[in-house]
Amino acid sequence: MDEYAIGVLTNIGLISFLGLSAYVLLISGELSFGQQAFFGIGAYAAGIATAMFAWPLPLAIAIAMAGGATAAALVAWPTLRLRGLYFAMATLAAAEMFRIAFELLHWQVELGGERVGPDGTQGFRGIRWIFERGVEPLGFLALVWLLLLAFVLGIWWMERSRLGATLRAVGADPELARSLGVDVERLKLAIVAASGALAALGGALFAHHNTYIEPRNFDLMLGVHSLAYPLIGGLGTVLGPLLGAALDIGVLEGSRFLQGYRMIVFGGLVALLLIFRPRGLLDENLVHRLKK
Amino acid sequence: MSDFLQNTLDGLAAGASYALLALGFTLIFGVLRRANLSYGPAIMFGAYAAAWTSLNFHVGLGVLFAVMLATTVLAGAYVERLAFAPHRAGSAVAAMVASFALWMQFEEVATLVLPRHLYAFPALYEGGPLPLGALTVRVEALVMIGVAIAICGAVWWLLYRTRFGAAVRAVIDNPIAAGLSGISVPAVSIRIFALASAIGAVAGFLIVTTQEQVTPMLGMWSTLKGLLAMMLGGLGSLPGAVIGGLALGLIEAHSQWYLGPQLRDFLAYFLLFVLLAVRAPWMNTRSAS
Repeated sequence: MDEYAIGVLTNIGLISFLGLSAYVLLISGELSFGQQAFFGIGAYAAGIATAMFAWPLPLAIAIAMAGGATAAALVAWPTLRLRGLYFAMATLAAAEMFRIAFELLHWQVELGGERVGPDGTQGFRGIRWIFERGVEPLGFLALVWLLLLAFVLGIWWMERSRLGATLRAVGADPELARSLGVDVERLKLAIVAASGALAALGGALFAHHNTYIEPRNFDLMLGVHSLAYPLIGGLGTVLGPLLGAALDIGVLEGSRFLQGYRMIVFGGLVALLLIFRPRGLLDENLVHRLKK
Repeated sequence: MSDFLQNTLDGLAAGASYALLALGFTLIFGVLRRANLSYGPAIMFGAYAAAWTSLNFHVGLGVLFAVMLATTVLAGAYVERLAFAPHRAGSAVAAMVASFALWMQFEEVATLVLPRHLYAFPALYEGGPLPLGALTVRVEALVMIGVAIAICGAVWWLLYRTRFGAAVRAVIDNPIAAGLSGISVPAVSIRIFALASAIGAVAGFLIVTTQEQVTPMLGMWSTLKGLLAMMLGGLGSLPGAVIGGLALGLIEAHSQWYLGPQLRDFLAYFLLFVLLAVRAPWMNTRSAS
């Protein structure tokens, strides 16, 4: 496989974590404009762990996921009773606060004659753990996709279980679910924390793939992209967000003949697609028919 | 004390532009119950059309304004047709994501036509600020405040003194009942989109002629400020949008003075988050879905 294809596939994998984090929220009836913040928290936390403290990557990823889950739960805990656009705006406000906090974060240490660490709007460079360990691009690609596969299988299994049915019931009608004895608030808090951890995992891998991150990476643009992936790919199956990300990055990067016009074509296609399939390509009806 | 007054004056001018952005957002939200993420990008698109005209032809501000107004309204109508009309009875999320997809289109076309990161835009007023006692006031600020008052008055007249306004208010109250009583909801919706885009174009024109530059960031900036002001004033209320815009301008001006630009933005988002979390009574957080 050539370097270029490896790069595209790695990017699809990385961004798919963010798409998955939006997906688990969407199927339980929540709309978040703030998943980019948890992706950013994962990126910063993991980068700080490996580049500044020289901790191993698995530990850094664990810290990132714990940080993402905690931050998401802290955001959601006071705002869970809000519905629709109100909750979306609360998550957006929180995400922008995190982004500004990254801009204000100046914390560097001397390492081998070099200052390493987040430097506000100047960004955070030198997150080189995988290069210093001699991990080949193909090896990193495998790591990203193995982790992704593990979480996709986990979510797939969860959706087939009683928990998955409960989640979709809460998404379809929270009041009805409540009247059937579901503790809606507790369930939502758990799913929000899980989605924060998923986004943070993607961010941790992104930081190590890019070696450089800056606060601007984690703005509303990224957040709405993550929302678009499950909606393009389809809300009927956990593979939806992956398909959405693959179409976006694949079409964007793949079709070089469209260079300069790719967002015009892609934006128009997405708008048209949503007219005919408002719940995405792999929507519930299609998935149901395929299963039969 | 004079610092305080000066900041208040500057805050009112910024707040007037936020109020107009929030007014446009609220008109669309009220009629469609959908957030239009492409609202700011359509304004940015209009500003780019005007900037392109100004670079290629020697024309006055009046022509530039006409170009910006026409382009923004057309862009708004395009968004309504492609992202909102098909989802009228359907999914709000699909409509929002579709409006985001069109945002991508606007941004790409704008940067294809004018690829540099920043373009100069002719100034609204060439002279310096006017003295006002111990304070100074920029002519652009006075124009902004005056225009905002005029537009709010005109919108109020349109909504409360015309047949069209009665139809719009009926649709805002209950679109199904309005449709049953013979009001054409699609017709109201496209006209409201055009009106909101026109208001956005006026606000955007005053902003770019005051800042004397355009960047692609104007799109996201307008969407964020409009959303923030609309939410602060209580989602869906037109007087609330104006008050929310002015409040946002004042909060930003004072916090910038004491805390600097980054904490200024932080404070505005923090305030919105807290008001949402405590479910401030004017925000109707219980009723809307």
